Amino acid sequence: MAKLVQSLSTKGPVMMKALVDDAKPKFATFLKYAKVELVPPTPAEIPQIRSGIQKLLSGFRTGRWKQLTVKEAWLNTLVTAEVCLWFFVGECIGKRSIVAYKV
Amino acid sequence: MSVFRLDMADVPAPVRVSPLIKFGRWSFLFAGILWGASRHRSLSKKENALREIEEKTRAAREAKLAEEKARASKAELMALAAQAGIKDFTP
Repeated sequence: MAKLVQSLSTKGPVMMKALVDDAKPKFATFLKYAKVELVPPTPAEIPQIRSGIQKLLSGFRTGRWKQLTVKEAWLNTLVTAEVCLWFFVGECIGKRSIVAYKV
Repeated sequence: MSVFRLDMADVPAPVRVSPLIKFGRWSFLFAGILWGASRHRSLSKKENALREIEEKTRAAREAKLAEEKARASKAELMALAAQAGIKDFTP
């Protein structure tokens, strides 16, 4: 046990440095994707959002949703489910606990 | 060894997510945070009120429970004595 602690204290900083060096390019890759995919919509994109909502509503009204292929409908379902699941992620953040309201 | 490293050249290009989806995701996230925080606050208030009431009635409640327990154990002893055939047993 003492030997383990000793070897950990000598190799610890070296291991940390190796971990950080390994993680840097991976983090850079993550940032590269995040800047395009995860960033919130800018005000310039508001007209696109409006037209998207209009397209959804008109498509629902004209009955185009009956002519979708099953694959398209399944993909739409998955995307909608993912968007709705962010609500529960936000709720976990708001109540500051993963599972329950700890009162 | 270089086959396992992720070079910048051969990763796929990032997807241009539709603004409607991005707007939906972020707005649901914020709505969820607000909902969680507000519900947590209201539930904490209720729980604190209940806790106060419980504190106030604690003494009376514990006395009643202790008395119940004493009575039950006395009745049990009498029953045991009757079973064992002891007459005129006073605990």
